[in-house]
Amino acid sequence: MSLRLKFAMTSDPRYLPVVRGAIGPLAAAIGWDESDCRAITLALDEALANIIRHAYHNRADGFIELECRESADGLEVTMLDNGEAPDRSKICARAIACDQPGGLGTHIIKDVMDTVSYQATAAGNRFVATKRLGKTT
Amino acid sequence: MKISIRDAGAVKIVEIEGDVDLGTSQVLRRTLFETLLIAPKLALNLAAIRYIDSSGIATLIEVLKDSQRRNKEFVLFGLSPAVQQVFHLTHVVRIFQVFQTEEEALGSA
Repeated sequence: MSLRLKFAMTSDPRYLPVVRGAIGPLAAAIGWDESDCRAITLALDEALANIIRHAYHNRADGFIELECRESADGLEVTMLDNGEAPDRSKICARAIACDQPGGLGTHIIKDVMDTVSYQATAAGNRFVATKRLGKTT
Repeated sequence: MKISIRDAGAVKIVEIEGDVDLGTSQVLRRTLFETLLIAPKLALNLAAIRYIDSSGIATLIEVLKDSQRRNKEFVLFGLSPAVQQVFHLTHVVRIFQVFQTEEEALGSA
């Protein structure tokens, strides 16, 4: 049976360490080493933080559902929210490797995960990311 | 996250313990900006940080830029492997003065 983890929570940043505390061990159980587990945890924490900041504008009462599922070749993560749809033109819009403080999170997500997609659906915003086992960050 | 501040001569040493994330980085930001106002040099000890996200890195970049505007010095030391990994992923390590030990950080002026 494949591993599966699901959180239904509000957009309160106090949940961030709770989720981080679960994702690292899940990634380790699937087979990643300590460094990759940290990177995966960081990437998914950044995705959650982006929902809190940009979809819900730091409101703490928005709905977020996070599901992590062990796939045939690694990990698939889905996040759903009902906040403002992401502005695709701003995702990774700023070049990294510069001294500007903003926009680092989406670059981390893109660098760590193998595939990343953002969709606005009738049911809300849907973020899906995958990472294949065996590919290091 | 816990923050403590101590003096080493004219230098203010700020020590952080715990997680720096979206929920805590504003407190760190406020502390660092306020401390920078009252010292010519600020040294940040990152050895006891378990986790830092991009909001924490963004805070450090903002403080660095403010220190440069004020002609002051802002240095980092004691980066754990976890913190080093985030610096690597965000490609920002080259913009900071980073030292292994407090002694090296204090002697950097």
